[in-house]
Amino acid sequence: MKKLLLVSLLVTAAALQAQTTVAPKTKAHVEFLASDRLEGREAGTPSERIAGDYIAAQLARAGAKPLPGHADMFVPFEFTAGSRDGGTRMNGSREGIQALSFSDDAEVSGAVVFAGYGLVVPESQNFGYDSYATLDVKDKIVLVLRYFPEDADQQARAVLARYADLRYKAQAARQRGAKALLVVTGPRSPNAGTLVPMTFDTAIAGSGIPAASITGEVANTLFASSPKPLRDIQQELDSGNPHVAGFELPGVTVNLATSVVRVKQTGRNVIAYLPATTPVAGVEKPWVVIGAHYDHLGRGDKGNSLASKEEVGGIHHGADDNASGTSAVLAMAQSLSTQPRRRNVVLALWSAEEIGLVGSNAFVTAPPVPIDQLAAYFNFDMVGRMQDNKLIVQATGTSPVWTRLLERANVAAGFDLVIQPDPYQPTDVASFNLASVPSLAFTTGAHVDYHKPSDTADKINYEDLDRIVDMAVSLARATEDTDPPPQFTKVDQPTSRGSLAGVRVTTGTIPDYATEVKGLLLSGVTGGGPAEQAGLMKGDVIVEIAGQSIANIYDYTYALELLKVDQPVKVIYMRAGQQRETQLTPGARR
Amino acid sequence: MPRWPLVFPLLLTVVTAQPAVQPQERDLLSRVRRLTVEGRRAGEGYWSPDGQRIVFQSEREPGNPFYQIYALDFSSGETTRISPGYGKTTCSFFRPGTDQILFASTHHDPRSRTFQQEELDFRASGKERRYSWDYDPEFEIYAYSEKGKSYTRLTNARGYDAEGSYSPDGQWIAFSSMRDAYNRALSPAEQKQLDVDPSFFAEIYIMRADGTGQRRLTNVNGYDGGPFFSPDGTRIVWRRFDESGLIANVWTMKLDGTDQRQVTDFGSMSWAPYIHPSGQYLLFASNKLGFENFEVFMVDVAGLKEPVRVTYADGFDGLPVPSPDGRRLAWTSTRGGGSAGQLYLADWNHEAALKILKAAPERKK
Ligand SMILES: [Zn+2]
Ligand SMILES: [Zn+2]
Repeated sequence: MKKLLLVSLLVTAAALQAQTTVAPKTKAHVEFLASDRLEGREAGTPSERIAGDYIAAQLARAGAKPLPGHADMFVPFEFTAGSRDGGTRMNGSREGIQALSFSDDAEVSGAVVFAGYGLVVPESQNFGYDSYATLDVKDKIVLVLRYFPEDADQQARAVLARYADLRYKAQAARQRGAKALLVVTGPRSPNAGTLVPMTFDTAIAGSGIPAASITGEVANTLFASSPKPLRDIQQELDSGNPHVAGFELPGVTVNLATSVVRVKQTGRNVIAYLPATTPVAGVEKPWVVIGAHYDHLGRGDKGNSLASKEEVGGIHHGADDNASGTSAVLAMAQSLSTQPRRRNVVLALWSAEEIGLVGSNAFVTAPPVPIDQLAAYFNFDMVGRMQDNKLIVQATGTSPVWTRLLERANVAAGFDLVIQPDPYQPTDVASFNLASVPSLAFTTGAHVDYHKPSDTADKINYEDLDRIVDMAVSLARATEDTDPPPQFTKVDQPTSRGSLAGVRVTTGTIPDYATEVKGLLLSGVTGGGPAEQAGLMKGDVIVEIAGQSIANIYDYTYALELLKVDQPVKVIYMRAGQQRETQLTPGARR
Repeated sequence: MPRWPLVFPLLLTVVTAQPAVQPQERDLLSRVRRLTVEGRRAGEGYWSPDGQRIVFQSEREPGNPFYQIYALDFSSGETTRISPGYGKTTCSFFRPGTDQILFASTHHDPRSRTFQQEELDFRASGKERRYSWDYDPEFEIYAYSEKGKSYTRLTNARGYDAEGSYSPDGQWIAFSSMRDAYNRALSPAEQKQLDVDPSFFAEIYIMRADGTGQRRLTNVNGYDGGPFFSPDGTRIVWRRFDESGLIANVWTMKLDGTDQRQVTDFGSMSWAPYIHPSGQYLLFASNKLGFENFEVFMVDVAGLKEPVRVTYADGFDGLPVPSPDGRRLAWTSTRGGGSAGQLYLADWNHEAALKILKAAPERKK
């Protein structure tokens, strides 16, 4: 019954398209994929399968075929959909302890060495901070504080924050021969004494070391016979002085048994191709890949939803993210299928992008077509909310041919192109860049409905989405015809960039990525968040926060690392050409 | 580049924060699109008389860190290089009724390739130069025949000759020249001035399209440059800098240099004027709203009304050139990010422009 219903739906969509040729070619696809019935297309769920079936049917309709050697268009891959504690114990008790999501499963016993914040800054940073400098932790269980020294000056915090990620701390302990890692949130830190939540982690396996967090109470029992209480020790460390040495906790040995249950699921990439219309013998790199992720957040319970309190648990429709990109690829397939092709054109719709580019990663790790035979990759993620004719094209630095081809294609298309050479983007283009494939990523940028249930089909700008399809078709055709194929250029990862791993605070701002301004332009603020409380709103441009001048999103991310929870900072911003000032009090990011 | 006076790129490094597009811009400009993407920078786009092409300058080929001249064809999307590919070039213009395009170039200078390499080496060294434009005295004006693929040199005077444009009938060229600093003995004070800023000596000249009959039209200290003919061919519009090089205004005059009239009076840098094909108003750029923030303005040709702002974006918006049908506007802007300009195009609402100008207040005296 279910299947029949689906088929009739497909027919309706097809009939609708055939009848009204003036209707946008992308609209029916978006409306289907972003409908309530598809429940947010979370990877590994039945709704992801319905979406995948629809996509495969549409690709077949466009004349695309399964890849050579494949019976159908589905290329499954396994991923970790979530993890939970499987009964981690210390000295036989489950009280006040929980595994870290990347922990190995193991049982170990040994003396406990307190290693301060467990931070190791690589020598290349010319900073000199090594919590293990005077410690021998071989075959010991290491106990460290979460985060990084609270009172270090801004410059030091900026460096330390980068190495405070718990995975990094676990790696440092493991490399020094530790048997296990215990983490406590210090009494002077935000979230004092609480367990580290088991964050969503897509790793298939553990990190090579048992690792768990313990509560402040449990830590206190370990410090019972230590000369000083943990609070005093942390205070010394918080000055940022790296020479405050760690020590073995006198008379303490523990038995630790960690267990993490990883929920494995199977996602499906939908991959088909339009064979070249002339023999590809003699054509260098005879494949071009066009892709978009079709998965979204389901009901948003995996930690990456930005739903407001009232919306929590609702269907995240993902019309822009990324029914729009999926529809663009389907429409491109339809158009490209009727034109001559010098190269094979692969149409790839990725799943599990939202939980860490897992689908596209699976493709480049086990490529169904030799990866060095790909001439180019084009990515479409969030292309349905064009404003002011602005189209952002990212990863243009991956080949010297891109700016020329874009300039030519844009003469007819007429977009106000915003060019961003950087390929290290939070979308599937990053997977292909790392595989050295010349790539481009198209987007119309983030908006107030980003990762919220309110990202719905009625808000899509179909007319401009269709224009993007037309331009991308002409660009894809020009790339098919390019001989020799585009040359790959490696773009260095910007070093000044902040990483969210070190950010412990939230300001409740939603940056506008589409508009280039000097500063951080807000496309909105989260309801009830610190920014809204500070009186900031959509359209404001933050130019300074906590004394740090802000020229772009990277400066901002970097500045966030320096903020402290509940400590008000001055924000200077521009509104309608006027410079204004306000106080913003960051909240804790868990 | 020299239609942009010396100081501008220095100023472009700091811009005031403001959302890039404000609703006011939409009153006059719609469907803003970026025309150039390739290379480090591009700008100064001038229309072919049929509106099918734009000729512009761009730094986009490896091996030459200076501008070359390119023509973009709207129907094919194809861009072709017009200049020889080496040396420094600037300021191009289509000759109406012919297959010719003029531009200024130094490619006859045997040191051209050495200079290119020196500039590339300098950039590779990572050092920062304040600004590399040097008003090279080797600049001469050339006419390129697209059919014959040949270059004809039209000027032959030491000192920068550039910023040329044709009259609507294609018979005359107005241009700017610094020859006055080289064709006579300079006083010590003048010599010092030449070393600091040769543009002080730039004056407006006119000549026949074949380069004969060169005649000087202006005679005032400070940079006179960027001359263009009015659509009826009876007047020349240009910009005149004061001696300090900081304040500039738009002027018009007859082709013989008489009847010089000042159109703008912002007390800031107002330059790059171009008269709309309707002949009713002209567009120009000014930093009136902030030393680093150039915007396009428009004003009635006589300058009786207060000029009206056209663009609303961070950084630089300037060198406005309306299409021959008056329905589109090409200009150079840094709105895409960074400090280097690119060429932009938008639909131009002529009726709205007339209405807004009509409602504009009288210019304050
Ligand atoms: Zn997405
Ligand atoms: Zn997303």
